Amino acid sequence: MNELPMLHNYLVVGAILFALGLVGFLARRNLIVMFLSAEMMLQGVSLNLVAFARYRSNLQGQAFTLFIITVAACEAGIALALILMLYRRRHSLDVTLWQDLREPTVEPTFDEEPLPPPPVEEPLPRLTPAGLEPVHGQETSHV
Amino acid sequence: MRLPSILLQIPAPGPGRSLLLILVPVALGLIAVYLLLPRPRGTRPRWGTFSAGMAILLGGWLLGRSGSGWVETVLFYALSAIAIVAGGLLITLRNPVRAALSFALVVLSTCGLFLLQAAPFLMAATIIIYAGAIVVTFLFVIMLAQQVGTSDADQRSREPFLSSLAGFVLLGAMLCMLHLTYSTDRFDALLARAKEAVEKPTLEGITNTLGTGNDFFDALHREAQHAHLAPDKTRVFEDSLSALEENWNPPSWDADKMRSALRKLYEEGVAIRNSYGNLQPPRESSFLPPGIDKKQSLELSTYSRLHSNQPSTQPLRDAQGRSVMPAENVAYLGRTLFSDYLLAVELGGTLLLVATVGAIAIAGRRPEGLR
Amino acid sequence: MFDMSPYLVLIPLLPLLASVLIAFLGPRLFRQHSHWPCILAVLTSCVLSILVLFSLGQHEVGPLKHSYYTWIPADNVIISFALQADGLTAIMLTAITFIGSLIAIYSVGYMHGDPGYARFFAEISLFIFSMTGLVLADNFLLLYAFWEGVGLCSYLLIGFWFTRPAAAAAAKKAFLVTRLGDLGFFIAILMIWTGISDTLSYDSVFQFKDNSGFMTAVCLLLFCGAVGKSAQFPLHVWLPDAMEGPTPVSALIHAATMVTAGVYLVARCTPLFIQSATAQVIVAGIGAFTALLAALIALTQNDLKRVLAYSTISQLGYMFLALGCGTLAIGAATRGDAMALVSMAVVAAIFHLYTHAFFKALLFLSAGSVMHAMGNVIDMRRFSGLRKVLPRTHWTFLCGALALAGFPLLAGFWSKDEILAAALGASLEGHPYRGIYIVLFISGVATAGLTAFYTFRAYFMTFWGEERIPPEAGHHAHESPPVMTVPLMILAAGAVFIGYVNAEPFTNWLGHFLEEHTTPLRGAGHELIPAALKYVPLASGSVMALGGIFLAWGMYVKQPGLSAHLAESVPQLYQLSLNKFYFDELYSFFIVQPIIGLAEFCRVIDLYVVDGLVDIVGEIPRLFGVLFRPIQNGLTQFYALAMALGIAVFLVAMVWRMALAP
Repeated sequence: MNELPMLHNYLVVGAILFALGLVGFLARRNLIVMFLSAEMMLQGVSLNLVAFARYRSNLQGQAFTLFIITVAACEAGIALALILMLYRRRHSLDVTLWQDLREPTVEPTFDEEPLPPPPVEEPLPRLTPAGLEPVHGQETSHV
Repeated sequence: MRLPSILLQIPAPGPGRSLLLILVPVALGLIAVYLLLPRPRGTRPRWGTFSAGMAILLGGWLLGRSGSGWVETVLFYALSAIAIVAGGLLITLRNPVRAALSFALVVLSTCGLFLLQAAPFLMAATIIIYAGAIVVTFLFVIMLAQQVGTSDADQRSREPFLSSLAGFVLLGAMLCMLHLTYSTDRFDALLARAKEAVEKPTLEGITNTLGTGNDFFDALHREAQHAHLAPDKTRVFEDSLSALEENWNPPSWDADKMRSALRKLYEEGVAIRNSYGNLQPPRESSFLPPGIDKKQSLELSTYSRLHSNQPSTQPLRDAQGRSVMPAENVAYLGRTLFSDYLLAVELGGTLLLVATVGAIAIAGRRPEGLR
Repeated sequence: MFDMSPYLVLIPLLPLLASVLIAFLGPRLFRQHSHWPCILAVLTSCVLSILVLFSLGQHEVGPLKHSYYTWIPADNVIISFALQADGLTAIMLTAITFIGSLIAIYSVGYMHGDPGYARFFAEISLFIFSMTGLVLADNFLLLYAFWEGVGLCSYLLIGFWFTRPAAAAAAKKAFLVTRLGDLGFFIAILMIWTGISDTLSYDSVFQFKDNSGFMTAVCLLLFCGAVGKSAQFPLHVWLPDAMEGPTPVSALIHAATMVTAGVYLVARCTPLFIQSATAQVIVAGIGAFTALLAALIALTQNDLKRVLAYSTISQLGYMFLALGCGTLAIGAATRGDAMALVSMAVVAAIFHLYTHAFFKALLFLSAGSVMHAMGNVIDMRRFSGLRKVLPRTHWTFLCGALALAGFPLLAGFWSKDEILAAALGASLEGHPYRGIYIVLFISGVATAGLTAFYTFRAYFMTFWGEERIPPEAGHHAHESPPVMTVPLMILAAGAVFIGYVNAEPFTNWLGHFLEEHTTPLRGAGHELIPAALKYVPLASGSVMALGGIFLAWGMYVKQPGLSAHLAESVPQLYQLSLNKFYFDELYSFFIVQPIIGLAEFCRVIDLYVVDGLVDIVGEIPRLFGVLFRPIQNGLTQFYALAMALGIAVFLVAMVWRMALAP
């Protein structure tokens, strides 16, 4: 079998995962989803490394991937702690709320396009009550 | 050594011969992602999904064939498709919980790919840590930061066009680069011409096939530069190529001599074809800084090698040309980590400790107690 | 007598040392005794100058010369600090130092109590240094250096009370107007340097013989410098305004010595001037014209010092008229005749310079005494009848006025007679341009009459009539202290008797002295004017003088209202004369305003174009900043997007090259 196309294919998949992660990081405004996209970028890189390790028949790539996992774990821990702190300040996970490091003369960016109104859910159907209402007795004890 | 006949069959060159053809699925993917990113105007994602499907199918078709067994091929394509689809879902779903779950799916399919690449320990470790710990922690945080329904932030995206453009232009560049580096199309075409010339009976036929000028030989020289992994084989190839070239204009050998020379050239070309695109410099390299003994530098220790006499810069291939990986993956990984990468392991441990302390210190503060 | 040559340098050096001493130690140490170094130095220079005079008298061979230091030793241009003293120099030195010392003594009383007392005497000493250096210089470059030095001292002294805007403006005007003349002088020096002699020393320059247009040009440019410094038309406008300075300054600089530097220059360059008849006629013409013009203006002035200033201009014009009479280009006569005329002309000019120094200084100092008594009021319409209030000033002023008017037997009489004789000699047969010289002679005679008239007009307006004292006088209205009146009396004696050094019937000492000891004039002189015309200048001068005095007496004492009546009957002429023929206004309109306009234009360019360019260069980074600032909008994703786009572009470029390479 030919090693080369195999390597090439895995590298392509890794590149695609990396690119998708990059787009997600740049485009989404939810802090959590941004971070998940960053993690997906790391996954693409890991795939790259493991493919090269296989191609060269040694374990260097896999060892490196292990360290990537380690670092990703640390990063996730601290990033989530920070996200929690940020949430406590503004009670929102929106990254657009944090624009204070801009130039003093630049206006903050806010969205003007209104959201469509949330779809009004149809109310649950009301069933006609069936059966008879039981008779309620008088309260007898006055303790 | 006589090469097995299986290697002598160069598979038909894939349709990804043209560089521009690679960019078509990239463009389709760009359109798909742009359409699918969350936007205030809620439309049903018809065109986006369609475009995404076309991109994936076209990309899959353009991937080269590797000649491995059907099990491996099917698994590869399935897992890759799931990974890519789940990645797309991650970045386009509005609900963050669903996005986290699709991330878990990405991780699972990537782990499957790890397993295909002879890395079982990594598969297990990734599933445990990523899909287990990290995704669960994310879901905890999402629940802690819960708002009623989806917030405004999730309904919009920042600069959808520019960000998808940036990402997909990067992707396109990377894919083109990979194609330029690793595709053997041109080399394959030249070798096919050589093979065709071998089958011609007369000298005139040979010269007609290969052309009277020196372009054939110049092109072969250029392509031979790309094969670094087997310098000895490359040297042999270059020598026979030069011998042939000297006697080409005007041809001073007779037809038989020419044919046997061409056949020898063909076999040597196939031998080096598999190391095409290998970017590792040969052992005698000028990249080493002065003063370092060349024989002892940049090598892994014997603990990291599969066979004690394996040169560390050359891959190990079995009789069929497949690369050899240890079955006891965990043991060998452990040996490697604690011999060649010991320092990194210790530092990694320290890093984890520091990260733990840091996370607790940051998240442990209450708003009232902030100074 | 011993040889005075090595000691020539002491004559300018002592006043210089005094000046430096007073400048550094005066304000703190000497204070009101700051005058002692100045007076001592100038008196010593006076004694030395008289010794030089005697030493020359004994010397058989040529002028005294000594070279002290080689200033510019450049290949074949060797210019040194060399001083020379011939007859002309010696005469001028005695006049300068003698009158200078008298004026210095006078100033002790006049400037008493002024806060700038030390500065005054330092500047006076500096001036004496420059003036003596000027007449002692041996080459043109050194002469030019001292020329500028006297210009500087004039500026400093006119603007002595610099806090008064009028004084500051007058000082600036004097400096700038004389600068114009100095420009011509410098161009003349350059032409001499390139065309005549490399070393610029008098000896080598005066050997040159040429009568082409080059010589005319050089002479006219030299005369240009004289016109500036001696306040001739058209550069006369600065001298009346220079009366803003203290009166001793007016006396010393603008009557006796500095303004005579121009006359000295032309007299010194006689060997050059006499070779160009055109230049000489221009010199004489301008001199006579200026004399007439200034006399006409002085007729109506009401400020006593202005009258005296215009009178100075007029008398300087006389001196130039005399100097312009001699030339070598006489047609039918022999060279001996030509040299006789030249000698007569130069002697006449220098003689008049000498006597004018005495009586003009005297007049100015008397006017200063009057001003001192009247509380700084000098407008003649505001006081009159002062001959009882200021008796000694009155008698000294009268002596000076008689001398100026040319009253027979006084100093001015003899010198003016010589000048008119020179003019007459120039209008004889065979002289080039003799027609013009006849006209000049007649105008000189007319000017003599005007001189007498306006002088005695001033005298009668000031000292005769009813006694009127302006209120500013306060308790000052008494005679001046002896420190001021004693120099006046010495000068009055000089004004009366000094004419006899060259009075024809008695002695020709000055003339002989000059002829013997001034190289160009050596060996000249026999009688030139035919007997029939010999007494014409004498007679016409006397008639004009007496007639002017009589007319003034009639108009200002006998019938005081007549002058006003006359003024009303010819109002335009009166206004023309009163307003100095509108010279200042003309100059302002044609020269000063355009230059101010040019300066404004340059200022506009500087402010808007040059500064604007600099501002634009400064604005460009700011504009770039404004352009790029919105990139920092605080959104993390925006920054990451920018990075990703950058990398994308870079990668695309790299891949493009890779794809195109093979």
